[in-house]
Amino acid sequence: MTGLGIVIAILVTLVAVLIPWLPTSASEEMDRIEFVYWFATVICIAVFALVMAVLLYSVMAFRSPPEDESDGPPIHGNTNLEVAWTVVPAILVIAIGVISAFVMSKNGEAGPNPLNVKVFAQQFAWRFVYPDDNEVKSGELVLPVNRSAKFEMESADVIHSFWIPAMGQKQDLVPGIKTRIIVTPTRTGVFSLVCTELCGVGHATMRATVRVVSQEDFVAWVKERSDGGGGGGVSGDKAAALFADAGCGGCHAFTPAGTTGEIGPNLDDLVAAAQKAGQDPADYVREAIVDPGKVIAPGYQDGVMPPSYGETLSPAEIDSLVAYLTGAK
Amino acid sequence: MSAHAEALHGSDHHGPPAANQSSRIAPTILGMFLFIGTEAMLFGSFFAAYFFVRVVNPDAPDSWPPSPYEFPQFVAGINTAILVTSSFTMHWALQSVKRNNRRGLQAGLVLTILMGIAFLLTQFIEYAHIGFNTGDGAFASVFFGLTGLHGAHVLVGLLLLTFATIRAFRGHYSPEHHHGVELPGIYWHFVDVMWIVVYVTVYLI
Amino acid sequence: MSAVEHESHGAGHGSGEPTRQRSILMRPGFVRAAWCFALFFLVGLYLVAGIRWLAGWDPVYDWNIIVLVGGLTLAPIGFLLGLGSFDYWLYWISGRPTIPDDHANHGARTWKDYFKVNTDHKVIGVQYLVTTFVFFTLGGLMAMLFRAELAQPGMQFMDTQTYNGLVSMHAALMIFVFIIPAFAGLANFAVPLMLGAPDMAFPRLNALSFWFLPIAGTMFLCSFLAPGGAFATGWTSYAPLASDQPIGQVFFNMGVQWAGASSILTALNFLVTIITMRAPGMTFWRMPLLVWANFTTSLLVVIATPFIAGSQFFVMFDRVMHTSFFVPAEGGYVLGYQHIFWFYSHPAVYIMILPGFGIISEIISVMSRKPIFGYRLMAMSLLGILVLGFSVWAHHMFVAGMTDWLRVPMMISTLLIAVPTGVKVFSWLATLWEGRIKLNTPMLFSLGFISMFVIGGLSGIYLASVPITIHASDTYFIVAHIHYVLFGGSVLTIFAGIYYWFPKMTGRMYNERLGKLHFWLTFISFNLTFFPMHWVGLVGMPRRVADYADRFADLNLVVTISSFALGASVVVFFYNMIVSWTRGPIADPNPWRAMTLEWQVSSPPPIFNFDEIPQVVGGPYEYGVPGARHAILTSTTAPAAQEVHG
Repeated sequence: MTGLGIVIAILVTLVAVLIPWLPTSASEEMDRIEFVYWFATVICIAVFALVMAVLLYSVMAFRSPPEDESDGPPIHGNTNLEVAWTVVPAILVIAIGVISAFVMSKNGEAGPNPLNVKVFAQQFAWRFVYPDDNEVKSGELVLPVNRSAKFEMESADVIHSFWIPAMGQKQDLVPGIKTRIIVTPTRTGVFSLVCTELCGVGHATMRATVRVVSQEDFVAWVKERSDGGGGGGVSGDKAAALFADAGCGGCHAFTPAGTTGEIGPNLDDLVAAAQKAGQDPADYVREAIVDPGKVIAPGYQDGVMPPSYGETLSPAEIDSLVAYLTGAK
Repeated sequence: MSAHAEALHGSDHHGPPAANQSSRIAPTILGMFLFIGTEAMLFGSFFAAYFFVRVVNPDAPDSWPPSPYEFPQFVAGINTAILVTSSFTMHWALQSVKRNNRRGLQAGLVLTILMGIAFLLTQFIEYAHIGFNTGDGAFASVFFGLTGLHGAHVLVGLLLLTFATIRAFRGHYSPEHHHGVELPGIYWHFVDVMWIVVYVTVYLI
Repeated sequence: MSAVEHESHGAGHGSGEPTRQRSILMRPGFVRAAWCFALFFLVGLYLVAGIRWLAGWDPVYDWNIIVLVGGLTLAPIGFLLGLGSFDYWLYWISGRPTIPDDHANHGARTWKDYFKVNTDHKVIGVQYLVTTFVFFTLGGLMAMLFRAELAQPGMQFMDTQTYNGLVSMHAALMIFVFIIPAFAGLANFAVPLMLGAPDMAFPRLNALSFWFLPIAGTMFLCSFLAPGGAFATGWTSYAPLASDQPIGQVFFNMGVQWAGASSILTALNFLVTIITMRAPGMTFWRMPLLVWANFTTSLLVVIATPFIAGSQFFVMFDRVMHTSFFVPAEGGYVLGYQHIFWFYSHPAVYIMILPGFGIISEIISVMSRKPIFGYRLMAMSLLGILVLGFSVWAHHMFVAGMTDWLRVPMMISTLLIAVPTGVKVFSWLATLWEGRIKLNTPMLFSLGFISMFVIGGLSGIYLASVPITIHASDTYFIVAHIHYVLFGGSVLTIFAGIYYWFPKMTGRMYNERLGKLHFWLTFISFNLTFFPMHWVGLVGMPRRVADYADRFADLNLVVTISSFALGASVVVFFYNMIVSWTRGPIADPNPWRAMTLEWQVSSPPPIFNFDEIPQVVGGPYEYGVPGARHAILTSTTAPAAQEVHG
């Protein structure tokens, strides 16, 4: 039976090692999570191998044909054994608990000079604001590498959840309260941020791009974004920034903005659609932003686009978006 | 499957063997206590909502109820007195049937029902004049939730008491057999106790 | 509750049923149920409209409230009234003479008796199982529909609202009207027999709680017909999303109330039966573990279920009465929903597995021909799970934004639940050891259960650990975990229990070869379906998504194909059940040579279970003990003799 146990343990270990169960870590927090994960895995392999070995061995060794009417030995219990399999698992799980508590508290601490980022979620878009960096707003999350980011998160409507799989950390955004989480990216690259709490019809595609860049690139990005949003008038650049900030590109393809979303209708066709409906393109687009449920493009669903843009964007901002989308300058 | 059973029993076999009574408590009484336990947990969930709104919520109001609203403590206090008194009349009814005092049983039940109705009417009038509605904030949700849940229980209690009263006037109870009075009585006492908790937590604290 | 009344001082000649023949319209049955249903709906409609008209509210016909009051509350009550669930009590209430042990509606003489309000616990048990398997089939078909959608990234067959609706419906049907009541059905059949009781303590209440169940399930399903589609917020139905969804959501809120009321009343009935109706000599320490399991489960149900009722009430109030329990702008507290919901729904996972533990304990002991190892510790571990089960709810909320200090205590208590659970697994293994193992279908399902449940339990250890759960929560890892514990756990035990008691329920034997085929098909396709989900979840696929990133496509295709195979495996089961029930070989009273009381009477058991209440003289699992007996039956209806081995 010991042999059987070892064989099972080796097989399970191979399954555990050969399959890349976790995404390649991209944050300090994920590194620590991986440590707990492997700690628990070793214990679980041992327990599983033990249980399966006893079970399979018993089935093979003690199987008896249906016509055999004899009974097994009347063993009612064994106090030592029972104490052992109460105490040993208790010790093992408490060990996991202690390690987990330790890692949990480590993952709740930010490194030096953390970057503050505010996260706003609504059905079904993400927005990020950098309060210490000229209040830069963005629809994609840009983070400097090797610097802790402290996220302070709010939801405008229902519960959403913030998760970058490669970075491990996850936190719900709850209407009415501010939630916080810390992520320290360890490698540059492009990742994806997904909503993991069912939030309505557009939940599956409520994603955002996460770009981890070097500190210099980050500073440059902040500078570029701050300059772009400088003027008070309706400029094309500002409208483009607004288009990105409001998360439009998450769902809509629009060539001038370089977005390729497929959840909502392609915005390159907006003017044509307005003409087909016999409406002034500006009115048509304005209505589509403020009251998205009124006209639903064929092949798309009602209720996916948030109806709240009429409130969250100022009239001037809507004007500039309309101008941007209809191609007027 | 039953043909088999009938063959075994014969057609003159009418019923099952009497079940062994393995506990001193009567099944109906135990059932009522368990039911009250589960009812208490239902109230518990409403109190949990109250606790979240008033204590846990970081935006909880400083005063309870938030100004300018007020709860009619005095009227509700009188209502409390009515309900507590009705518990005594209920007890009197039960004692009467145990002593074979039929008039006492009937009078006790009728008085209890009348006081229960008075309680419900008072609460209804209180709702009408309270000055806020269910849509006026979480404090109102909790207030109407708890008092409304309790009111619904008073109504159920009154129904049970009415059933008992009908049978009491038909002379169905005796000193030996009065579970039909005892069970609504237990329920009624529970409703009273629950009211005191609701009154203290919602109106007074 | 007048439901628990049993008293009578009538002359004893009358009965709940008048003897004169009434017209089909007035007789208890589906015809009367139909018109009562319509009548009560109209009463609800005009009650709501009348009050709104009197109060001067606009609109007078507020369909949200009319559907809720008329359609989902009063109409089902009318249906039950028409069916005859309340007849006896109404006679009692009106002061007419009744006899408490009126057995007019007891037992099944033809198949039609299964479609009536029947007070026989054995009939009710079968009613439960057949009903729940209807919902199981529908829920399974829905799973295959949305698995088809998930075979490829992008949307192919349905829009996302429909997808969310199917996912939510699948879970609601499987949890509320399949697993929980299927266990209630098995226990309904077995527990009174095992206790040596002639029936449940409150047979009419038992019948009523069964009939709540088709109402609940039908209510869930009817939400597909509601404008805006079925409820689509997952079975957890988190506020505030749930309070501003289309009207279909109310069907969920109310369906849960009916299902919850059903399980509370059943649990209450079990508790009273187990406490007050045990046969002489049947002390608590001589009760079979199935009875112990249902005792603890019933305690959990009675204590916890009102909390889900509360949570669904609040969501409904927020919708129809404009309250603000979960509206932060008005002073509501969103996380309150989750705390209240999980205070029920965590114990609910034990409600869905403890009865299974009981079934497995019975089968392992009988099929290994050995006493259960560590009987007392097995019973105590059930109680341990019961107590710990109430202190772990917030482990569903580690990423929910709740207060931080709750995390570590909840993590530790969650991890500690592994200890009593581990005790059970090790004790089953020790029972197998040196036994005379009969590898028949119930035993195969039991062994399959142990191995699958261990995987589910171990992934539960990962999920108890806060840092891992922060990564894994709300992903397909969770989906994999719950299916390992609910399908690999609960459903396999339900199958095991059905095969085990099939000869007792029907008097016929199932086909062993088909049973084994069913097991292996299920076992293999189950693992192929759900094991890859661990992986796809850990690398980044969230749960409840209609669409997913292209990199998860291959694994999802594998899962979809396997899920169809899993669906097909159930066909073997149904074929076996239906054919064996009608044409299977006649079964012995005690084909497994078991000692517990249900096997000491004929198959199927006599209509009132026992001619004389048996005298219990020993433990229920004394296999291999020379001369040991569990009980002495004096009746002639018992099969030849007690099993004495050794």
